[in-house]
Amino acid sequence: MNKYLQVFKISFQQEFAYRISFIMWRVRNILQIFVVFFLWDTIFYFQGRELFGYDREKILTYVFGLIFVKAFVLSSRAQDVSGEISRGEIINHLLKPISYFKYWLTRDLSSKVLNLVFAAGEFSFLYIILKPPFYFQSNPLYIVVFLVSICAAILTYFLLLFIVDSIPFWAPEMGWGGHFLVTVILVEFLSGSLFPLDILPITIQNVLNFTPFPYLIFFPLQVYLGKITGILLFKGLVISFAWILVMWYLMKRIWEKGLKAYQAYGR
Amino acid sequence: MFGKDKEGTERTIIVEHLSKNFEVTEKESGLLGSFRSLVSPTKKTIRALKSISFSISQGELVGFIGPNGAGKTTTLKVLSGLLFPTAGFVQVLGFDPWSRKPNFLKQISVIFGQKNQLWWDLPAIDTFDLNKAIYEISDNKYKDTLEELTQILEVKKLLHIQVRRLSLGQRMRLELIAALLHQPKVLFLDEPTIGLDVVGQQKVRDFIFEYNRRFKATIMLTSHNMDDLIDLAKRVIVISKGEILFDGNLKELVDQFAKEKIIKVYLAKEADVKRFAEIGEVKKFNYPQAILSVPREASAVAASELLQNFPVADLTIEEEPIEDIIRRVFKGEVIKNKS
Repeated sequence: MNKYLQVFKISFQQEFAYRISFIMWRVRNILQIFVVFFLWDTIFYFQGRELFGYDREKILTYVFGLIFVKAFVLSSRAQDVSGEISRGEIINHLLKPISYFKYWLTRDLSSKVLNLVFAAGEFSFLYIILKPPFYFQSNPLYIVVFLVSICAAILTYFLLLFIVDSIPFWAPEMGWGGHFLVTVILVEFLSGSLFPLDILPITIQNVLNFTPFPYLIFFPLQVYLGKITGILLFKGLVISFAWILVMWYLMKRIWEKGLKAYQAYGR
Repeated sequence: MFGKDKEGTERTIIVEHLSKNFEVTEKESGLLGSFRSLVSPTKKTIRALKSISFSISQGELVGFIGPNGAGKTTTLKVLSGLLFPTAGFVQVLGFDPWSRKPNFLKQISVIFGQKNQLWWDLPAIDTFDLNKAIYEISDNKYKDTLEELTQILEVKKLLHIQVRRLSLGQRMRLELIAALLHQPKVLFLDEPTIGLDVVGQQKVRDFIFEYNRRFKATIMLTSHNMDDLIDLAKRVIVISKGEILFDGNLKELVDQFAKEKIIKVYLAKEADVKRFAEIGEVKKFNYPQAILSVPREASAVAASELLQNFPVADLTIEEEPIEDIIRRVFKGEVIKNKS
């Protein structure tokens, strides 16, 4: 276990190596929140207005909750995996008595911890200047389920990236393209990180609910807001865990094949 | 656990009839093209290794030479478990490399001259600490090994400087340490001196020699750098187009492949140098000295002809320089008189 502790440590140090880029990234994060905040604040400007089942308090809680959930779920180091494969650097790891999957999961977690610390700071900062109404969940059950769904989301996203990042085993130059498709198009739009998904037509929602994407951002936040209860809550958890199992299996198979196909020839 | 040969010495590396084919997909350019080749790839088989066999005993330092694309790196990758052999038998330290058992990985190390494991943005000592944890090296052993290695390589002052601020030569020496902290019994070195200046090369070479001597490690080294081989390896394996052309002492290689002799002539006075060409190939002419290369068996005749027909002040017959022979080997010159 000590191995992975050390990986955690060095990964943490690495995050600080490029301070400027790190700060810029956080600034971008804050600006993004600003945009989404003011958009929804304007829509719900009139007191008592309710749209798509959201009032001002809940939609702004959603937006603020995004800060945390995104910081924890979508911040990931594993996107570097495709680069390591196409540059052939993966062999450095394969030659060592260490699990590549656990290595990256550890690096991911270290990145998340760092992000969480900064997200807490940003949250306080934005909370003070924007003074939004914020919905504090008081039912401990929902808080526990929220935390569970966050863990599931982290694992889901990690597995998703690990699957997508294996593309360069077969097509070294496709790494970035696949990553872009998944993280930017699919995840940003379908996870609820731009808007709450329940403003979409119900048929689209029904389809989406069977994909892994809503369980990354939207579902945990809904749980926190107390908007998903009873049988729906149960169903959501089952689907998200089922996806984890499916993707785990897929990832294992794909990586087995990928490593065999990978010839590191001249790379 | 280890194979034994006739003399009863331990054979650390055993390779028997190893073949490795690559299925290479021919790629079309562009995103669309690569998508197309993902769906319906056009495949081509490259036979990188064609049934090669050799074995290496514990503590040996073997040079592995041959032209580009001969199969050197492929062999090292098979031996270190990175590539799955197409056919044949491979055993290293009693293990099947491909299964990549932790106990196997803990006893080997591979250094690819062009692939770095040091964390670019952090001081090298951080990578060393990480490797200590990964290889589960005890505190004491780690301290001693690090102390010893930093001393031989003279890098003590560099340990706490960000790797990206170091020169290539300094970095390479630290890479060596990172790869050797766990004191591997088997070491594969792929072009360890590539890109280094003469002083840097010499330091790395001295170190490899010293490491081999001190730790009794089995070392396999590929290199394009002839000095590497002349300085380090007693035994060389010459490989070309996936086949072993020669396996034996470096000295034997020279004897076997030195097809030419070099005749140096000092002229007493000017002569018609064009007539030299009738006797042998003129390598260099710089009055009063001329250097000719003649076939080995004709060297005596050539020398007497020179003495008879030219105003010779002095004449010596020498062996072809070892560099020239290896250079010819590198060029992939077909060597027919195989042992």
